[in-house]
Amino acid sequence: MGIFLKDINLKDKTALITGATKGLGRGAAKAIAQVGGNIIAIGRNQSELNSLGKELRKFKINYIAFNCDVNDYEKLKSFITKLKKIDILVNNAGTNLPESFLNVKKSSMEILLDVNTKAVFNVAQLCANQMIKLKRKNCSIINISSIFGLVAGQKRTVYSMTKFGVEGLTKGMALDLAKYNIRVNSVCPNIVLTPRTKKYFADKKYNKYVKENTPINKVVTVSDVATSITFLASEASSMITGSSIVIDGGWTAK
Amino acid sequence: MFKKIDLKNKTALVTGAGKGLGKACAIALAEAGAKVVIISRTKSDLDKVSKIIKKTKGSSLSFVCDVTNLNEFEKVLKKISRLDILVNNAGNNRPEHFTKVSQENMNYLTDLNMKAAFNVAQLCSQKMVKAKNRKKIGGSIIHMSSQLGRVGCEGRNVYNMNKFGLEGLSRGMAFELAQYNIRVNTVCPTFVETPMVKKFFKNKKFKNKMLKNIPLGRVAKESDVATAVAFLAADSSEMITGTSMMVDGGWTAQ
Repeated sequence: MGIFLKDINLKDKTALITGATKGLGRGAAKAIAQVGGNIIAIGRNQSELNSLGKELRKFKINYIAFNCDVNDYEKLKSFITKLKKIDILVNNAGTNLPESFLNVKKSSMEILLDVNTKAVFNVAQLCANQMIKLKRKNCSIINISSIFGLVAGQKRTVYSMTKFGVEGLTKGMALDLAKYNIRVNSVCPNIVLTPRTKKYFADKKYNKYVKENTPINKVVTVSDVATSITFLASEASSMITGSSIVIDGGWTAK
Repeated sequence: MFKKIDLKNKTALVTGAGKGLGKACAIALAEAGAKVVIISRTKSDLDKVSKIIKKTKGSSLSFVCDVTNLNEFEKVLKKISRLDILVNNAGNNRPEHFTKVSQENMNYLTDLNMKAAFNVAQLCSQKMVKAKNRKKIGGSIIHMSSQLGRVGCEGRNVYNMNKFGLEGLSRGMAFELAQYNIRVNTVCPTFVETPMVKKFFKNKKFKNKMLKNIPLGRVAKESDVATAVAFLAADSSEMITGTSMMVDGGWTAQ
């Protein structure tokens, strides 16, 4: 801690991360562990949960893995309500099934709403209640949103509906949880190169579309997003709540 | 994975660096390793800031200059060899009810908060783009905006006009400077305990009313804002441009 520059340090903090084995979730786990935070990883793939644990070993933090689908409310609830420590939630699990509006299947619409909206709400509510019950101090919740939580994109109607929803939820939660000193923010990345988006980038037209819309001519990396998540998780951002850190190389500034 | 706030080998210029947020930013940037060029109208203030920076083993160069004097500021820029970061901070406020705002105050605030902010940003940008390796190493401009650059507030109409304007300038600049890998963002604090705000808070009724609007129930510390500025100055935020970082305890989330 300097005179005016606060440390980004998560020693003695415990972060629960959903969708922790891949993409942004995995990046967030590594970044948080790197600055000393303990990790509770939730994912659906046991071997990936194990490999994440192995990867985090070098940071000498506590690692708990829980194999669970975020749509399984009862299983989640019995796990979260038994936690002894939780200071940070990275509410990350989410998915996308791009389809043009007129052709959106009912099944895809429901999957996206269940994962990106309902499960996001449920995880946040369970974790917030547990943080309050445990009387943890200086908690932080980070919802993983998207630039499509702020603007529209091609074949992103349902995704935008869910992510605009996450933006609204973030602000509402921030107000309700402020009195417990639980801060709530979102990060809104541009399209990040992750296992899920790899297939989008394989399409040349899509690649061009992303580049043309990103004034800073680079693709956002997992590390870019994980760094902002870590900043929001730490007390370096202790007056930031109800807001969104937009990591989009200028996409939404227009 | 986590990109720490590291400003080694960077030169940062801070206007209004003698007091309040400017002083805090200058010291925080120095603590993160930057060489800091500090500008203020008051030599004794600059001397105090230099002393603190020296104590933290940082390096600074100070110039007495009124930023509303374009020629004077140009001369200062000629004296420094390089520039990677600008904290465009100098600003002021004279709260008055809209119907009673005097011409004198409107002109004074607009000349300082908008015209001088534009001129300083333009001159610094011109210097920054000249560096041959700019595209590779990037650059960062941070405008000191306010939550009142996003929402209205009683007796703040001119300040609102100025800071909303600064938000617009910031987004426009972000577009035009992206090709040089210069990022442009604002920081929007709520009330911070600075000498300027302390004056307003002598009115207890006003203070309590304002505190009620901050969900976290506290004013920001100078270090909260300075840390956000340092984060935006560093490569930690290398894909963040054209955005505003709200350091407002939830004020604008409502």
